[in-house]
Amino acid sequence: MSVLSRRQLLAGAGGLGLVALLAACGVDDEESPAADGPAEQGGTLRAGTPTPPTAVEPVTMYDGSSIALVQLIADYLIWLDSDFTLVPRLAQKWTGTNQNKTWEFALREGVVFSDGTPLDATAVKASFDRLLDPASKSAALSAFDGVLSPGGVAVKDPKTVVFTLDRAFSDFPYLVSAGNYNAVILKADYAGDFTKNAIGTGPFTLKSYNASTGASLVRNPKYWESGKPYLDGVEVRFYQDSQAEQLALQSGELDTLFITEPSVVQAVGDIALDEVGGTGMTALTLRVDRAPFDKKEVRQAVAYALDRPAVNQAVNDGIGELGNDHLYAPLFASAPSEIPQRAKDPAKVKELLAAAGVSKLAFPLTFDPPNKDYALVIQAQLKEVGIEVKLDQRTSAAFYGGNQESDTPWLFTTANLVSWAGRAVPSQFVNPMVTSTGVWNGSKYKNPALDAALTAYDAATDDAGRKKQAKIIAAALHEDVPVVLSLWNGAVRAYNKRKFRGIKAHPSWYVDYTNVSAI
Amino acid sequence: MRHLLLRRLAAIPLTLLAISALVFLATEVLPGDVARQILGREASDATAAQLRDELGLDRPLPVRYADWLVSFFSGDWGTSYTLKVPVRELVFERLGASMLLAVFAFVLLVPVALLIGVLAGLYHDRPVDRILSVTGLALGATPEFVTGVVLMVVFAVSLRWFPVSAQADPGASLVNRLEHLVLPAVSLVLLCLGYVARHVRASTVASVRSPYVRAAELRGASRFSIVTRHVLRNSTVPATSALGVQAQFLLGGLVSVELLFNYPGIGALLLTAALDKDLPTLQAAALVLGFCYLLITLAVDVVYRLLDPRLRLGVAV
Repeated sequence: MSVLSRRQLLAGAGGLGLVALLAACGVDDEESPAADGPAEQGGTLRAGTPTPPTAVEPVTMYDGSSIALVQLIADYLIWLDSDFTLVPRLAQKWTGTNQNKTWEFALREGVVFSDGTPLDATAVKASFDRLLDPASKSAALSAFDGVLSPGGVAVKDPKTVVFTLDRAFSDFPYLVSAGNYNAVILKADYAGDFTKNAIGTGPFTLKSYNASTGASLVRNPKYWESGKPYLDGVEVRFYQDSQAEQLALQSGELDTLFITEPSVVQAVGDIALDEVGGTGMTALTLRVDRAPFDKKEVRQAVAYALDRPAVNQAVNDGIGELGNDHLYAPLFASAPSEIPQRAKDPAKVKELLAAAGVSKLAFPLTFDPPNKDYALVIQAQLKEVGIEVKLDQRTSAAFYGGNQESDTPWLFTTANLVSWAGRAVPSQFVNPMVTSTGVWNGSKYKNPALDAALTAYDAATDDAGRKKQAKIIAAALHEDVPVVLSLWNGAVRAYNKRKFRGIKAHPSWYVDYTNVSAI
Repeated sequence: MRHLLLRRLAAIPLTLLAISALVFLATEVLPGDVARQILGREASDATAAQLRDELGLDRPLPVRYADWLVSFFSGDWGTSYTLKVPVRELVFERLGASMLLAVFAFVLLVPVALLIGVLAGLYHDRPVDRILSVTGLALGATPEFVTGVVLMVVFAVSLRWFPVSAQADPGASLVNRLEHLVLPAVSLVLLCLGYVARHVRASTVASVRSPYVRAAELRGASRFSIVTRHVLRNSTVPATSALGVQAQFLLGGLVSVELLFNYPGIGALLLTAALDKDLPTLQAAALVLGFCYLLITLAVDVVYRLLDPRLRLGVAV
């Protein structure tokens, strides 16, 4: 079968003929000049990014633009690299004791904030106390929920911070890393209004900020890593339209994009794309407590009806990795490899529906505009096996509006599509999405065995223990299908290969320009 | 004329009051929640409720409206819920940007539209007229974001004659700012050209057939003199209202051009504020824009009367 690609859909909707237009204009595609040799200091990188929807505030931020901007100015205890390895930053080392209920972090010597104040354990404790305080309306509260509570952070000495957890949590270093993007270390007396008091230990300092147009950053001369960053500065421009951003990149007005939509930006001429796997995804959530999905066979039938490689091509330009209806992305170290990949099987669909006693399956699918293409692909694919999907598009405001405990569409409709940003650890998906007490359990799935396995997973002290529990959880999800997970989003980052090197993609679009240099 | 001015000026506050009430009510029925916009969907209901309480969103609608109204008209326009910057500063910054683009586009539009309209009128029903009229109609029917993309790809990306972005660097000179505005202004001119030129053409045709032009011809006046002294002057009068409509459109209806050329104007601000339910920003932007519309309408009426003595003197036309 043929499935409309996202680009075709855009073109069909009159969105753009950009790719064709650019090709028609004869943009050359020569090889980039040699980009090896030692990196030299100098140059200003011009980066484009969507206009932040709210004021840039590290404690409450959740959008990619704000996160990237803050990451240029402030740093984390640990950086989460693009392959999900943990890289020491403000913390030089860390150890878990008391069966991973207590974690001790030793801070790097010689680090100062951009105003000259030395980094110490008090600032680190204050940063986490702030994130744990409900009054701060911190966006990290959900990540720490059930793991770390207010009062759980202590100063052992000026260079050592101790975290005492509510329960054993072996992946805790990920929760204080960039993977928990709000966890940047700010000064102890930080009281908000970040763009006017942007003091951090990051590679750049904020020279100016305009909520409508962008930001100007210059090298932080007090940055702890000697000789870095190489760049003199970064000019950030805000865009409300991805086409405008793409054209600015293509015309040379921009050198890179914080966030790159693979379906819009093409590697043409001077533009190169760096690509990585990711842990973000769009889940097709099915209400297991409500007809028609109260029967496992019906949910499995939907899962077997999808042509996952075609979905990947259509909605993600083929850069993602196939999902297998569980929440362990290939990028997670504990991801089980023993569960066979689910693939399209029309005969199996018929067999499962017959076993469930369903002669004709029809259901509404609720979603918001960003998932329109995904919904259309699902509708087309399910139609091929005789399943009728009635599309129910809501505005994003309506889809995520309402009460999270009683009626919000993204948690209470029969079937819906929800995009989930990448997470640093699988428990950040499993716990809220599919455990009996999960706060975002849209499928209303309850499985005590899975709950117990997750507790055991979080308490496991070694990789083998984690893998064992991950296999139990993944197998249960694969079998019961509370969520159909066709693919894990990959991420790309576009940059001008003739002007800069060292720009890398990141699964969560994080930005680290410490190694970027002008060519 | 003075009565007209006083009457119209007196109606402005009442109209603005009606606009503010309508916008307030409309915002109430819009789906969505500004607290969720600020905190993200993953914030708990308790956290969102706390923010709503801090913003005073749980108070009854009339109380909030009265509160906002008193503050606004006493000079306190408040702070944007989402961007946390003073609304007055934000709205005037965006309005200034929109006015610069609108004025620039208008300055390009007027002479070109007059020239094309008069030419088409003088050669009406001949090939020149047909070519100009069809081209104007076609351009008017083409969405500005389509002509904009084509202009950008050809003149900015490929030829690199003009910048892609309409936004100049902070502190740029006026010349540099105008250079950035060439492509968006041209895409707006192309959109409006046909409409204005059509009005000019129609009145030119009427003028050419009029007794005073016939009389001038019989007096032996040159064609150039007839066009400049009789035709052009009379053709300008009906074009004034068409230009007034376009001026209003250029000021506030630029959202797609603002987005495409990444220009932080008031249209895009209005759109974002409405989508985010950022009430202080939405109200202030709507009122300021409404005020500008009313002023433009008034100005058009005044100019119309100045140009046409029959209206000024109350003679039936």
